[in-house]
Amino acid sequence: MGDLTRLVVRNLARRKLRTILTIASLVVAFFLLCTLRSLVTSLQAGADSAIASRLIVQSAVSLFVDLPQAYQPKIEAVAGIEQVSKWQWFGGYYQEPRNRFAQFAVEPRETLEIYPEMEIVEGSAEAFFKNRRGILIGDGLVEQFGWKLGDTVPILPELFPHPSGPGTAWEFEVAAIYHPTQRNFDPKMMLFHWDYFEKTLEEGPVGAPGVGTFVVRLTPNADPTQVMATIDALFENGPQRVQSTSESEFQRQFVTMFGNVPFFVSTIGGGVLIAILLAVVNAMLMAGREQTHDIGILKALGFSDGDVFRVLIQQSLCVCVIGGALGIGLAKLSEPSIGLQVISLIQGYRVTPSTMWFGAALAVGLGLFAGAAPAWRAARLQTIEALASKD
Amino acid sequence: MTSGIELKGVSKTYTRGGETLTVLDNLDLSMEAGRFYALMGPSGSGKTTLLNLIGALDVPDSGHVVVGGEDLGRLNRDELADWRAANVGFVFQGFNLIPVLSALENVSLPLALTKLSRAERRERAQYALELVGLADRMSHRPRQLSGGQEQRCAIARAVVSDPAFLLADEPTGDLDRDSADQVLELLRTLNSELGKTILMVTHDPHAAESAERVVQLDKGRLLGIAERTAEAR
Repeated sequence: MGDLTRLVVRNLARRKLRTILTIASLVVAFFLLCTLRSLVTSLQAGADSAIASRLIVQSAVSLFVDLPQAYQPKIEAVAGIEQVSKWQWFGGYYQEPRNRFAQFAVEPRETLEIYPEMEIVEGSAEAFFKNRRGILIGDGLVEQFGWKLGDTVPILPELFPHPSGPGTAWEFEVAAIYHPTQRNFDPKMMLFHWDYFEKTLEEGPVGAPGVGTFVVRLTPNADPTQVMATIDALFENGPQRVQSTSESEFQRQFVTMFGNVPFFVSTIGGGVLIAILLAVVNAMLMAGREQTHDIGILKALGFSDGDVFRVLIQQSLCVCVIGGALGIGLAKLSEPSIGLQVISLIQGYRVTPSTMWFGAALAVGLGLFAGAAPAWRAARLQTIEALASKD
Repeated sequence: MTSGIELKGVSKTYTRGGETLTVLDNLDLSMEAGRFYALMGPSGSGKTTLLNLIGALDVPDSGHVVVGGEDLGRLNRDELADWRAANVGFVFQGFNLIPVLSALENVSLPLALTKLSRAERRERAQYALELVGLADRMSHRPRQLSGGQEQRCAIARAVVSDPAFLLADEPTGDLDRDSADQVLELLRTLNSELGKTILMVTHDPHAAESAERVVQLDKGRLLGIAERTAEAR
């Protein structure tokens, strides 16, 4: 260790509590920054990884307005479309309202063909197809609730009451379990038979359900833009106008239903950054003032303005890089647990290397910025004035 | 032999509270290399200011300061720093050791500005500390040393890079009599055996007795230079 580097380290240890608290605040700030940025990038990655050959057809009014089932054969007849499946958001929960996850009524065979990302790892597709009350669940739900093949799963409805009366659960049976082959595919979905859904509802006052979305798979050479325009034009005069979007655009729209998440997250991240910047600048200014006398000694010994500038900058860099590295490391370590917490909104939450490099660059930048003022002051100090200052 | 110290028409003023204070007034002074000078005078006579100008810690308003043949007025800030590192060792009244470094680290600090290897720097610093009688205090921090030990450590730091000039500002001012005598003896040795040019500011007539010559200042002007015989010292 060089003499000046040793001085840098010893100066950091001079006020241990302050240094520790400054580093601790940096750890928290960088953890938050990296986590928030990862939320945004994971959201983006989810949309980007959507399959280009899939389209979503929904009501032009809102995702919460259903479409007539009668639209399906008309959509299927559009050139360039290979397959269509009805989907409806069920919106129930298991045992307690906090146990919410995505449940969809779907056409089983078509859905499994449209979504090859679902690899069945327990049970079989046939078992799912044959069992009218059968459900296909993601292994994330198995992990969360401990369900296994053959289990009866009661789901309490909020949107589609069971004909047997209020408070009656819909009962399903686990027929197959899938594992997503893509990182950004939701491992916590429950898919069940459209037929069971429809027939059950027809027994009650609700009657036949509408369709939340039609999921469309295009033929290999189809032009998505052309197909979307054709579908939209088909229903331009009602009774329900539709909006066709690519799957990635649909996912973006879905996320923005919760507000402009990237904007809010970035704003919070920016606020965190400014707050920590002020705190570190303040700490470094205090440290610089305390070391004024020592700076005078260094200059009297023949150290240049540049040397003392570097001593102060290195102190700031040291604090910021240590705090930043620990914060980034913490964000990476907590990736699995945060990923589980946000999985219903963001699949495949990941602290990417680019986020870690972003954090590292920010830590270095913060260190340089926070150290610049005290270092500049130290460099410009007159030696005899510095020597005359009190310790 | 290295050239000594020449001051020609040196003036220095300070402005305090809107009032201009003349500290050095058109001072001419010549000091030989290899000699031990004591600089005396009442408070405010300009002793410390003169020392700061000779040590390139400050610059005059007018006049020339030539030390060891170098006209300091021709050097910029960085060049002055380099010149200080190579030519001057300072000993201050308040010791001015860096509190977070050990005695050995303090003493080796000026050597960071040389091309010496780490091992050579350590060896030299150890030798300097042995020279001042602190061989058993190398790993101590300044606050773990007595005042006399701190000042001897500061002297070791001042001489470790082998400068030609040693500038001491009241080096015994904060010390008891025994410690002061040890420090003065050390300065005499550095002058007589290593040929260092020493300029020591002091109020203490007893300390001034160690010097070969006593420079008297008053109100920024030179009153005279008195030579002390070897017997008197």
